[in-house]
Amino acid sequence: MTISADSQKKIDDFLNVLHTNVRGLGEQEASDIVAEIRSHILDKASPAGTVTPEVVSSILAGLGGPQELAKRYLTDEVLARALARRYVTDGLLTRARVTRSPWLTLRSLFHWASLSFAGIWVLLASLVGYGLGAAFLLCAMLKPMHPQKAGLWLLPNPSDTSLSLRLGFGTVPVNGRELLGWWVVPLGLVMGSALIVVTFRLGLWSIGKFWRLRPLAGPLARGERV
Amino acid sequence: MTRKEAFSDGAENWEVQLRKGSLELAILASLWGGRLYGLEILRRLENGSDLVVSEGTVYPLLNRLRLSGLVESEWVESGSGHPRKYYQLTAAGREQAAAMAQVWHRFAASLTGLLAPLGKEKP
Repeated sequence: MTISADSQKKIDDFLNVLHTNVRGLGEQEASDIVAEIRSHILDKASPAGTVTPEVVSSILAGLGGPQELAKRYLTDEVLARALARRYVTDGLLTRARVTRSPWLTLRSLFHWASLSFAGIWVLLASLVGYGLGAAFLLCAMLKPMHPQKAGLWLLPNPSDTSLSLRLGFGTVPVNGRELLGWWVVPLGLVMGSALIVVTFRLGLWSIGKFWRLRPLAGPLARGERV
Repeated sequence: MTRKEAFSDGAENWEVQLRKGSLELAILASLWGGRLYGLEILRRLENGSDLVVSEGTVYPLLNRLRLSGLVESEWVESGSGHPRKYYQLTAAGREQAAAMAQVWHRFAASLTGLLAPLGKEKP
């Protein structure tokens, strides 16, 4: 197979434009793409003994314009990454449901939250639940060390009936009324553990209820960008 | 545009979408028997199916399948003077292809039943 200088230039021009436009995928990836398309062009050209510019033109036409081709690589890459994230989340959520591990559940909730609003709400609710549970547990554990500072206080402002859970740091609300005294120890332990268990169950329940496991839906239902 | 033309446009567009949608499965299926390089896959698709496949479509799609972990690739020196990039199914790819084929068969069977009366009388 002999390639005329004109033909070679045509091929190089095409590949240069392609290379410039897929550089966003990283240098390694871009070189790999260009090498594969070059190999394709040479394979298509080889049956012709002498590769004329006309032969090259018709081969290049089959590939579409170099910019168009580059765009396909870029959009397909984005799609691949989005699908991969879905698959990872699918896998994590499924494992969380099967193993019922609190750690896996929390991790998969973070993944889920990066994909949908439902996920964000479940994650927020879970964080509040775990946080409150942890606060009660801590309070119960700190009470023996900081009896004056740890506890549940009713705030003094008459218009404000909110409660304040103190963990034994900072200042005690002035004129605040401590509600539980030493009862905060057993109650804190029970409430804290209960909150954490309920939050964990609620997370698992939400996964079952709102996360649709559709491993095949992506490629088939999306109407492929091709 | 007449109504008939509009209808045939719609039908054509539907057919294009159908072909596009099945391309991924077709590529995975073409690799079922072993590794192939890009042009071989294209030829396999052209000879073995009714899919009209554009070359500018298949290479980016192969790249996506590779990124998704369904196929893996390696460069192999060939007698033709330049190396070729060969693709083969990964374990996940085999699993996915088999699952997709199952969905396809189920879908086709149910639709065939539904469509059976349509061929019997001309509209």
